[in-house]
Amino acid sequence: MQTEIKSTQVTQRIANLREKVISSKPSVCTERAKFYTQIYQDNEDQPVIIKRALALEKTLKEMTIFIDDGELIVGNQSSQHRAAPIFPEYAVDWLPNEMDELDKRPGDAFFITDEHKKELNEIAKWWKGKVLWDRGRALMSQELRDLQDSAIIKATGNLTSGDAHIAVDFYKILKIGLKGYLEEIRHYHKKTDRTKLEGVKKDHFYNALSISIKAFQSFIKRFHYLATSMFLLEADEKKSEELKKIAENCAAITENPPTDFYQALQLAYFVQLVLQIESNGHSVSLGRMDQYLFPFYYHDKITGKITEEFASELLENTWIKLLSINKIRPWSHTRFSAGGPLYQNVTIGGQTTEGKDAVNELSFLILDSVGKMKLTQPNLSVRFHKNINQIFMMECMRIIEKGFGMPSFNNDEIVIPGLLNLGVEEEDAMNYSAIGCIEIAVPGKWGYRCTGMSFLNFMRVFLASMYDGLDKQTGKTFCKGTGNFLDFETFDDLYKAWQHQIKFYAKKTIEIDAAVDTALEENVPDILCSAFVDRCIPRGKTIKEGGSKYDFVSGLQVGIANLGNSLAAIKKLVFEEKRISKEQLLHTIETNFEGIEGEKTRQLLLNFAPKYGNDDDYVDILLKDAYLEFIEEIEKYHTTRYNRGPIGCRYYAGTSSISANVPNGAVVPATPDGRKAFTPVAEGSSPSSGTDILGPTAVFKSVAKLPTKKIMGGVLLNQKLSPATIQKDTDKEKLISVIRTFFTDLKGWHVQYNIVSRETLLAAKKNPEKYRDLIVRVAGYSAFFTTLSPDTQDDIIARTEHSLNF
Amino acid sequence: MIFNVQRFSTHDGNGIRTVIFYKGCPLSCWWCSNPESQSFDYSVLYKKKFCKNFGDCILAEKKAISKTKDGIQINRDLIENPEKLKNTCLSKALTISGENKTAAEILVEIEKDILFFGKNGGVTLSGGEPFAQGESLTNLLQLLKEKKINVNVETTLHVKWDKIERHLTLVDTFLADLKHTNKEKFKKYTGGNVSLVMTNMLKLDNSGAKYIIRIPVIPGFNHSEKEMTKMIDFVSSLKNAREINFLPYHTFGVEKYKMLGIPYLMKNTKKTEDDELESYMKYAESKGFRTKIGG
Repeated sequence: MQTEIKSTQVTQRIANLREKVISSKPSVCTERAKFYTQIYQDNEDQPVIIKRALALEKTLKEMTIFIDDGELIVGNQSSQHRAAPIFPEYAVDWLPNEMDELDKRPGDAFFITDEHKKELNEIAKWWKGKVLWDRGRALMSQELRDLQDSAIIKATGNLTSGDAHIAVDFYKILKIGLKGYLEEIRHYHKKTDRTKLEGVKKDHFYNALSISIKAFQSFIKRFHYLATSMFLLEADEKKSEELKKIAENCAAITENPPTDFYQALQLAYFVQLVLQIESNGHSVSLGRMDQYLFPFYYHDKITGKITEEFASELLENTWIKLLSINKIRPWSHTRFSAGGPLYQNVTIGGQTTEGKDAVNELSFLILDSVGKMKLTQPNLSVRFHKNINQIFMMECMRIIEKGFGMPSFNNDEIVIPGLLNLGVEEEDAMNYSAIGCIEIAVPGKWGYRCTGMSFLNFMRVFLASMYDGLDKQTGKTFCKGTGNFLDFETFDDLYKAWQHQIKFYAKKTIEIDAAVDTALEENVPDILCSAFVDRCIPRGKTIKEGGSKYDFVSGLQVGIANLGNSLAAIKKLVFEEKRISKEQLLHTIETNFEGIEGEKTRQLLLNFAPKYGNDDDYVDILLKDAYLEFIEEIEKYHTTRYNRGPIGCRYYAGTSSISANVPNGAVVPATPDGRKAFTPVAEGSSPSSGTDILGPTAVFKSVAKLPTKKIMGGVLLNQKLSPATIQKDTDKEKLISVIRTFFTDLKGWHVQYNIVSRETLLAAKKNPEKYRDLIVRVAGYSAFFTTLSPDTQDDIIARTEHSLNF
Repeated sequence: MIFNVQRFSTHDGNGIRTVIFYKGCPLSCWWCSNPESQSFDYSVLYKKKFCKNFGDCILAEKKAISKTKDGIQINRDLIENPEKLKNTCLSKALTISGENKTAAEILVEIEKDILFFGKNGGVTLSGGEPFAQGESLTNLLQLLKEKKINVNVETTLHVKWDKIERHLTLVDTFLADLKHTNKEKFKKYTGGNVSLVMTNMLKLDNSGAKYIIRIPVIPGFNHSEKEMTKMIDFVSSLKNAREINFLPYHTFGVEKYKMLGIPYLMKNTKKTEDDELESYMKYAESKGFRTKIGG
């Protein structure tokens, strides 16, 4: 396990910049909060969209900017590296409450000065009752608030920050430049009919758009001025030349489309950056970078304008910049997204719109540069398809071998048919990219949150179906059931009870989502983000009002494997073999398998019933059917954008639940799969810890039996392999071969590999200081292992390690 | 009788393979990493770490199993019904190795991974000694032939030649072990007769069958220039030998001896590192063989 990058692989400049960012302590920056508060206070009469445009303008014009020594790509999110800006308009109540604990958090700690604490306390006071959180809760019925408080359905992250989970239209941005957007806005603004309600709103929207784009231009221009003053003062000739180049680039892209690779990358990064100053939604993604940047790269390469080495250095610098962007979340939400990265995804590979292999020189360069940096950002995804370049796949294996969890694979062979099935046009479907962790959308044409709506805790629902609808954790019956487990005569009775409960809770997740979406639409509309998503400008609507071409979303279902394993254990051991009586089962789970009899029952449940992940139809098909009960229910409903413009406006399922398996498990008592009370549930669509004993092919077979085409929010499969596993090229080829079968024949959705030894993890847990940059993949993204909470660390350690070496 | 079906095996022949481990072996090599494969009957394994002291095994086999201060003691000779014990230990601390499966049942297990086999992969029959099995082996080989699944067989060659001969057309590649050329040493460390192995190897060579020679490299047994040279020279005398695989000694199986209650005779022997094999590989290559570490 390498824990350091080899300095021979990268230039000294890059090594220095990387070290500077990874060694900077996460802190809090109050600048944005001050600017936003001031603008909101001074413009109370203005429509919210104008307030937000003015606040963004003030921030971009007045916030601290800096250019680090040796930087080639410029642009900072806040006053310091890894200092998280505060976004008071979403939620701020939590901040005064958690302020004194920020630097003591078991994972994701933030440093904050007393002065900033004082400032933020003042700011928080003014925002009381005005923020998204308050509004969203007010829009919910008492029942929905109770459901949220019960932790059966969780939407905290959705009401404490912006949406994001989106990639904007980089093709268009690079093609027309910011000037082009201003022209387009003017064009449609002129046509606005202000005699209508709709027209009044559009008028404000266009005004806000133009303020925001111009503010964005001013922001870039400020870097031009800063670089200019720096190059004039710089004594070192080489450095001075570099700064001069930065100044020229910034001046050019302030107005015009980029003319070369360097400018194109700088502009793409600026867009990525300002979207994360406008909103604190995470999973803002860069889309298919190897595609939209390739024409620039190719041109520069053949004309001799750029070398591969310099292009790689620019990319490496960009990855370091992405890591310097930070976000602070309330503890209640941080627990759900361990490690705290922003899931800025970059997607490479896949196919062209004509169905040809899209892998190009830049795909290799991006892959290798991410491999050299070994950072948690960007989150690198490779689109697999059956004709993908084998040499490229080998290179992917070499990067995977480095052990920082990247790249992960999405599969064109299931995603594209899945998208077509939803009504996405072919050209758009061929152009999808990963967003955030593993979820997918068509960049620049899709609304927010292709996944990441509310979380539903499947096992709490399952337990309620055993107790006539009673949720024992809260003592509440949210949905009267079909009877008690003791009265069930057949397994079918239990299954029907699940059907009944899950349909109720499925609908409630949508009701919560609808309230959240309404609050987001009315309180915190994004302007820049809307500008860069197709159809918003012609329609004169923000994304949330129905501006995007497509609109499909998904919530996250947690505890997938546990559901299947619980159903199978009860069916086999209670109803078929009668090795456990109904009374005995209830008693043992209620007492958390206490005593010798309890433990015996637990061992029976664990060891003598089929487990998901072992290619056993008995449990795999039960799980598939039970999950479909949920999926078919949510397919009936629409998003708040229905009939307002976008294609779709529908829900599908999703399991890319990050590390939510830990906190979701922490609110679930013991379950009939033998899981002890309050321990983690299974992660994503992966098997439960330690239960997949037949190796990776059996896991692949089980996962592929899920209704993957309907789980477009992501079928997350995390596989852990020991480093020795793929040392040799022949082993790498074998791993590629199983991946090919999983994707091409079995139509698997996603897979990612954690190549790390158990020993390393245990050592890292013990001596975090020595493993500062040890990275692990936690369900869909990479995180610094030492920043994870001990619970999450234990969960990772416990997962089965497959070995090719026996 | 088989004792394991191991999917996604990558070191037992080309490609991705499912390995069927047969139970029962004419040899009992000191370094054997699957000691439960040696007996033709059920084996009783006890993993103390998993034992929860439920006591169900003691109730089931009163004469054979008794309680100790922190676990159980097993007198394996007195066990009356090992098959019944399979469902006795709930925590799977006590497990019974060995399953009587028909060829058709084994085929079902194999076909589960058929999509992963691809062009190069398939099935490897291992053991124990597959050719020491009766009818069921022949039946399985015939079924696999019908299904056109590629078959490798790992063999000690320590069986009567006709047991091999009658399967010649049903096996794609033999993975034939050559452990030593010296009679006394072979006898001491494996309990077998090396001339049977060497004669069978000559017969296999003459039969025109495709085979790969596998040499386990075992410290204290054959891990020396002199012994290795002799073995490689012997292989050089064969007409159709093309490839030699060297299998370095490892200690992954040591824990199993404890679980079976049998002594491990190679205590304190260190794992053989890949680089210790360099000179052997070079010598084999100088004789015109393809070489590889592992299978």
